[in-house]
Amino acid sequence: MTEPRWTPYAVLVAIALLAALPSMTSSNYVVGIAISGLIFLAAAASLNLVYGYAGQLSFAQLGFWGVGGYCAAIAVVDLGQSFWFGIAFAGVVNLLLSAVIGIVITRTTRHAFVVVTLTFALLAGLIARDWVGVTRGPLGIPGLPPPSLMGFVFDTSARFYYIALAFSLIALAFLYVLKTSRIGLILKAVKQNDPLVESQGIAPGPYKLAAFVIASVITGMAGGIYAFNLKVIDPSFLDFYYMQTFLIIVIIGGAGSFWAVVLAGAAMVVLPEALRFSNELRMVIYGVVLVAVMMFMPRGVSGWLEDRRIAALRKALR
Amino acid sequence: MEVSATYLLQLFMNGLMLGLIYALIAVGLALIFGVLEVINFAHGELLMLGGYAMALTLPLVGLSYWPSLLVAVIATSLVGVVLYEGFLRHIGQKEFERSILTTLGISMILLYGMQYLFTATPMMVDTAYGFDGVEIGSIRITLTRLIAGALSVAAFTGLYCLLKFTQFGRAMRAIAQNREAALMVGIKPRHVARNAVALAAALCGLAGAALVPIQLLHPAMGQAMIFKAFALVVIGGLGNMTGAIVVAIALGMIESWIGGFFSIVWQEGAIFVIMIVAVLLRPDGLFKRGSMRVG
Repeated sequence: MTEPRWTPYAVLVAIALLAALPSMTSSNYVVGIAISGLIFLAAAASLNLVYGYAGQLSFAQLGFWGVGGYCAAIAVVDLGQSFWFGIAFAGVVNLLLSAVIGIVITRTTRHAFVVVTLTFALLAGLIARDWVGVTRGPLGIPGLPPPSLMGFVFDTSARFYYIALAFSLIALAFLYVLKTSRIGLILKAVKQNDPLVESQGIAPGPYKLAAFVIASVITGMAGGIYAFNLKVIDPSFLDFYYMQTFLIIVIIGGAGSFWAVVLAGAAMVVLPEALRFSNELRMVIYGVVLVAVMMFMPRGVSGWLEDRRIAALRKALR
Repeated sequence: MEVSATYLLQLFMNGLMLGLIYALIAVGLALIFGVLEVINFAHGELLMLGGYAMALTLPLVGLSYWPSLLVAVIATSLVGVVLYEGFLRHIGQKEFERSILTTLGISMILLYGMQYLFTATPMMVDTAYGFDGVEIGSIRITLTRLIAGALSVAAFTGLYCLLKFTQFGRAMRAIAQNREAALMVGIKPRHVARNAVALAAALCGLAGAALVPIQLLHPAMGQAMIFKAFALVVIGGLGNMTGAIVVAIALGMIESWIGGFFSIVWQEGAIFVIMIVAVLLRPDGLFKRGSMRVG
């Protein structure tokens, strides 16, 4: 979908509002939701890169999210490093891991791709639960210290919020640049017509792999930050719930459209909190929304709007 | 630890039972994939529904095993029909991701809906057979396990005969082999697909109902099994039912043997490691579908 001309202004206003958020409210609850929202958004936007642009439905993001969380926590608690090192460590581990996995699975059919990535995510969950020596099993690693930078300690929600905001903005900006670059265009072409891309002398393999690896690194770092937001990490960090949340953000917005996914992320994080449902009921509603979107507007809200726009244009021309 | 022959035999029997249950689930997944090219993410929830149908019917019929089992199988096959007519029917052949996300949504509704209604607390379910057992040589097997195993074998035999000798089954195989050619000879893909989903759901319901007296019943029981079943189906070659059964039984054995000698991590992780290696070596699965060749 083409971007409206006022997009840059809207983005500037949104950033200004987000930056001012902690000073507008004294409620830790609101700030807490905003932190989760920002981090989920970065993870969802990177899933959008893999699924929306490269067209590979990857459930492995959940695994990378968990690996990132555990790597960051272990780097700080067991290795005695700083938070910043932990996040970087999470990114590097995910880079290597996703490169190894990606080389194997970008060769398979898209059917097998789904199942293998799913299995990787579940395997990560099992390892988190059972490899007690490193992950401390079901008890998890509690008491993650607040990050600090040159003497300044990010110990309150409002302070931590700025870490989440900065990370999310950097990640989204990076993904936006990537989307508008040659790589993004090729990925889009690969999704639309793989054989045609190949006939133009472009090998899709490395591009798919690159999308998978970049998304994994961002998701892993997001996981690391989220773990420090929770201040504890245990196997429930790899609950399928997170994957479903990322997926729903991407699906509702419309896989492959950048801004729609950003808006959907904001909506899907804020709405259930505002409506205050029990956890089960919220997941039931997510499920209903997912099925409804898939049945009635399979290309998400942005795809639906675009179809409407094209239909209106056709009508006008007739 | 001294390893006696009895212990090995016990492991073997446990593995066989487990493998047969896995096979019941995996064969349904393979059937649905073969006919519709859909990976059914709600398959595990069908298993769970079968389990709950069994558990809820048992007290009504004085804990007798067979009527409850029948109710569970019929109930899940009806759910299968609804699943097809309501959702899968509207999804086109090329919309693979859409089918996954739709069934994932249905699975979420069923799983969390049941958790909302019955809470996540596991339930123990008792049948008229209780913990009666049968002594075979020096090992003892509970009757409910034995029945579960026998039921699976019976189900496979029935399925084989159905697919091989009836019009119903031939139409299913025809669609799985070559959709266009099947259409040309007048097979209605919609009817066949509905039958396939109902049949797969019934098999899954059977597995769920047979599992209930053996292990704890809880809303997430399907999820734990289904992810393994996905892996099995991929290792066996998507859509290949024989492959799915063979791999499922092998996995049951492997899990049971590993569980007997190593720590629990390896038992759960084995399948995933095997799958990664299998996909690396043979991206199309170990039992590649020969029927897809044209010309």
